[in-house]
Amino acid sequence: MNGLLAYISRRLGLTLLILLAVSFTVYLIFALLPYDPASLTCGKSCNDPGIIEANRHRLGYDKPFFEQYWIFLVGLFAGRDFGEGAAAFHCAAPSFGYSFQQHACVTDLIFDALPVTLSLAIGSLILWLIVGVGLGIVAARFRGKIWDTLSTAFVLVGTSLPTFLTGLMLIVFLVIKLDWSPFPAGGYTAPDEDLGGWFLSMVLPWITLAFAYAAIYTRFVRSQIIEISTEDYIRTARAKGLSDGVILGKHTMRAALAPIVTMAGLDFAGLLGGAILTEAVFNLPGMGRLSLGAVVDIDLPVIVGTTIFAAAIVVIMNAILDIVYAFIDPRVRV
Amino acid sequence: MLKGKKSLKVALATLSAAALAGGLLTGCAPANSGGTITYLTQSEAWTHADPQRNYTGMHIAWFGSYLQRTLTAYDRKPGAEGSAVVPDLATDTGKASNGNKTWEFTLRDGSTFEDGTPVTCEDIKYGVSRTFATDIITDGPTYAIGMLDIPTDPATGTSTYKGPYSTDAANDTASFDKAITCSADHKTITFNLKRAVGDFNYTVTYLSFSPVPKAKDTGDQYDLAPVSTGPYKIKSYKANDSMVLVRNDKWNKSSDPLRADRAFPDKVVVKFGQAAEVIDQILLSDKDKTAVSLDSLLPTNLSAVFDDKGDVLPKYKGRAINVYDPYVRYAAVNVKKVNCLPVRQAIYYGKNFQSLITLAGGQAFNGDPADGVIKPLMGLDYAKTGLATNDKDWKPEGNVEKAKALMVQASTECPELYARATDPKRGLVYDIADTETNKKASAIWIESMAAIGITMKFNFIEAGKYYSVVLDATKQGDLSAGGWAPDWANASTVIPELFTAEGGFPMSQNWDDAAYADFKKRSDANLTEPDRVKQGKEWAALNKYAMEQMWVIPGTFSKTQEIWGSKIGGAFFWEPQGALSFGDLYIQK
Amino acid sequence: MFSKEAEQKITGHSPRELAWRRFKSNKVAIPSLVVALLVILAVILAPLMYSLAGVDPAARDEGALDSRGEVPGDWNGISAKHPLGVVPGIGYDLLARMLFGARVSFLIALASTAITVFLGLLMGIVGGYFRGRVDGVIGRFTDFLLAFPTFFMIIALSAPTIERMEKSGLIQGNEARILYLIVIFAIFGWPYLSRIIRSQVISIRERDFVLSARALGASNFRILVKEVLPNVWTPVIIYVSLSLPGYLSAEAVFSYLGIGVQPPMPTLGTIIADSTKYMMNNSVYFFIPSLALILLVLTFNLLGDALRDALDPKSEN
Repeated sequence: MNGLLAYISRRLGLTLLILLAVSFTVYLIFALLPYDPASLTCGKSCNDPGIIEANRHRLGYDKPFFEQYWIFLVGLFAGRDFGEGAAAFHCAAPSFGYSFQQHACVTDLIFDALPVTLSLAIGSLILWLIVGVGLGIVAARFRGKIWDTLSTAFVLVGTSLPTFLTGLMLIVFLVIKLDWSPFPAGGYTAPDEDLGGWFLSMVLPWITLAFAYAAIYTRFVRSQIIEISTEDYIRTARAKGLSDGVILGKHTMRAALAPIVTMAGLDFAGLLGGAILTEAVFNLPGMGRLSLGAVVDIDLPVIVGTTIFAAAIVVIMNAILDIVYAFIDPRVRV
Repeated sequence: MLKGKKSLKVALATLSAAALAGGLLTGCAPANSGGTITYLTQSEAWTHADPQRNYTGMHIAWFGSYLQRTLTAYDRKPGAEGSAVVPDLATDTGKASNGNKTWEFTLRDGSTFEDGTPVTCEDIKYGVSRTFATDIITDGPTYAIGMLDIPTDPATGTSTYKGPYSTDAANDTASFDKAITCSADHKTITFNLKRAVGDFNYTVTYLSFSPVPKAKDTGDQYDLAPVSTGPYKIKSYKANDSMVLVRNDKWNKSSDPLRADRAFPDKVVVKFGQAAEVIDQILLSDKDKTAVSLDSLLPTNLSAVFDDKGDVLPKYKGRAINVYDPYVRYAAVNVKKVNCLPVRQAIYYGKNFQSLITLAGGQAFNGDPADGVIKPLMGLDYAKTGLATNDKDWKPEGNVEKAKALMVQASTECPELYARATDPKRGLVYDIADTETNKKASAIWIESMAAIGITMKFNFIEAGKYYSVVLDATKQGDLSAGGWAPDWANASTVIPELFTAEGGFPMSQNWDDAAYADFKKRSDANLTEPDRVKQGKEWAALNKYAMEQMWVIPGTFSKTQEIWGSKIGGAFFWEPQGALSFGDLYIQK
Repeated sequence: MFSKEAEQKITGHSPRELAWRRFKSNKVAIPSLVVALLVILAVILAPLMYSLAGVDPAARDEGALDSRGEVPGDWNGISAKHPLGVVPGIGYDLLARMLFGARVSFLIALASTAITVFLGLLMGIVGGYFRGRVDGVIGRFTDFLLAFPTFFMIIALSAPTIERMEKSGLIQGNEARILYLIVIFAIFGWPYLSRIIRSQVISIRERDFVLSARALGASNFRILVKEVLPNVWTPVIIYVSLSLPGYLSAEAVFSYLGIGVQPPMPTLGTIIADSTKYMMNNSVYFFIPSLALILLVLTFNLLGDALRDALDPKSEN
């Protein structure tokens, strides 16, 4: 057990280091961009240099780079105040900064957008796992038969169709042309407001996103199963006269589970940073739309905040997966 | 593209606006009230919801209809009658004295904010003061700064009063308190101006002159939750998602005759961020019968709704219009960079107007070739400038010979600019909003400019961010697509706004031009000209003057197409705002 | 113990021959190879194709449009003059634009793939072969790169990076944009390949022929070039055949989002982005470019699958 603890603490230390490196790099990249963050806050009135300087001071952009980064880090844990007098405001911890263009604390914006992206990611994850793993198993079992060919065709169409085309065609042809479908043409309904409405608003985005991922999973599961079934212990099981179904359920799938879970975990983590295209096509106010909108508006605090947030989720998910494996498989700990 | 916007004096040749509205306005509210109107837009959010920061005509029309009341307002009627100013919060349209330098308005009884507190003179005064906080209250019209009698700091050229948020001890609050005074009963507001403004009662139709309760002001964040004085109030507002309005139960109908019998729907919803093609398809297929598009139809979908001549097809009768909007579209020339008349003229003659207008859907939808920045419908202020169709050398498809000859002239007159413009590595940069149609337009521009030896490059700017980029002198290219509508029916809101350094839309940056000093002097003098006919003639002359200098490359007197669902009633084109009459829309039973 | 050569002589079939046999036996392999080669040829020889079809990507035929900029009729003006019809609004020949566009798209995809492969091979081999600290540093660096939300970073960095490139004066306009896409695709792409190569190299490193070469005193460089490199080609070939269509669709996606090449130069992606505006009004124009992209991606994916099955039989049997 000591080995495990040591591994976990080492892994967590490494995670923190990577997080620090990523946040610093993101901060650095966007600080080096040829934009003056202060002059992005006032649009047309920026013809007055006094205003730019006032905003620079208010948002802390007048401080040296390292101090700015330090204030940012401190803000993450302790919250942050901006401005003074009647127009002052406070962003509570964990503060990613303040968006002058959206008039809100970046953390609030992220926490507003996250439930939408979570809805999208969880639903499509379930859908693509069912379809992808199911089809993968079918294809592997009936290798070379018609079912294999059909699932291959599904896979290829899935990988060839860009998500924005799938989404647009679903909206225009299914929702608008065929007027009988119960789905809205985009937009999000919060589940606590109207659960049925939430479900209907999410079905098409789930299908769109799951379609692209299911294709990859079908392919992956199929090759995993085929590869595992050549392993000695599976051959032995078969020699012992166990039925195909039992072998698949009890042995092959168990072995294939780990890589599938890893892949799903990482894909899921990646999605929490935002599914930009699906969110854009279906008009879902999630993380992807938030970050894309920030790029368009050159809203630097939001860009930095969402990037670091998305990276943190991926890094943390990686660590969780590694630690879970360390529990299951002692060899990993070395 | 849009920015300012306002009135036109003469009736516009609309198709059926009057017919559409006929009879519906006078009907009793109960018959048509109830239901939810849903507005669809591609924008991620309102550019601004803060009344002091709103400037686009469409936004002023929307917020003015539902949420914000001003001292005076445009009458909500189709045709020319809509451009008349009527009292709103005030009991009349203002009393001028002291040679139009003092304006006095008396407030009605019973007007309240959404929390029930009465609207006072002090609230309006506080609202106007926010315009001066140009570091926080950005993007709004700055007429208050230009007109109120407050000194200008000679060092910086800005007002000595910096708005209500300033903590600077030197902030000139005293001058502001003298410029706007309130009577002891808080009912009468008096504006003291630094120069004569004969139509100041038009100026105060701007939401920037609407009341803001000081206790509820959150500075920058007021943009998310402005307090209502109108028949509705904001229930929720989230960028990338929606805004929901519900009835304002504190709204006192009797104090608001303008909106009294027209607050029809129970709920108003704006859905942000819908893809343009999806919005069009929802409306074309009438999937949502109570939806209204806040955006113009895509040029690619025009033929589904209108015939070749621009008339509405029978299928869409009564729920679409194709009308002249108040805008003039042009390419503003950054005169500081393109400081050579023959080059500017060469661009004008070389431009392939024909292909550009075909791309945008044809003349029936995109409008007529413009000869200046004042639309003929401005009546008094318009006279032909001798450009475009009145210019024998101008050809719709571009006059390559004439343009080439001008380039030869430029090569000796201004060799430096000539060398840059013709260098394939450098060339001239054209700023334009990033849309699919503009991408194709850029190919046509590049082709026609290449034919006369000019290398043209394009800087595509996200549509929602366009004006804040090009109005920043450091970011503007050599030419920038622009559009302007008069703020009210006087070219005093066009010529000085576009072509003087103090103007609200000075994209031409022409104040280093040799012709500027003379132009500026005449423009300044004409602002206070008491004889309206004489003033109009001078505006027309200055329009011609600016065109002779090619401070902008004229484009079109433009048109717009709007569409709404089949269950929406009461729609007409509200001319002074260049938008639908949002406040008159109702759900047909 | 047989030498490698002797082993091959006895069975009479080199691994290459075996792979080719397996490849040939795959029903879709040969057709997809032929189509892929034809497409690449057509793209390389685009100027020749223009003159063969009598079209010109820069010419605008406004006669093919009505006064509203629309193409009369239901078939997007498909005729002998315009084999795939015209681009509405502007009057370009669609076939010529698609050939030209595919050329640019392929340039981006091929160059990105080439750089990705170079970096992935280099880092994977160095890390896998030398292990230890070098491997640790490379491994952490890939972890670090993979932590970034790639898709979003490509969008976020595009405008400022291109601005910087143009300000440097070395490269302008679309050249800068193309270079940006190529480099950024490669920067975020190589870690995936590098991981595959690394694990491959680790296993090769312990194989007999490498151990014996080392025992014979061969230098690291010699072992890497002569023994290791030839044995990692299989994953590389598979990777290339799958990443090429990946980059082709990535280009389309980023063009749809408005990042990438600007007019008048087309890419498949910019043509598709424009065509989505005509989804209802001109479905022929909407479907042709999208179908072309789907067919292209499909072809290269099929080819990639067939190559994988042929070169790496374990995944199949």
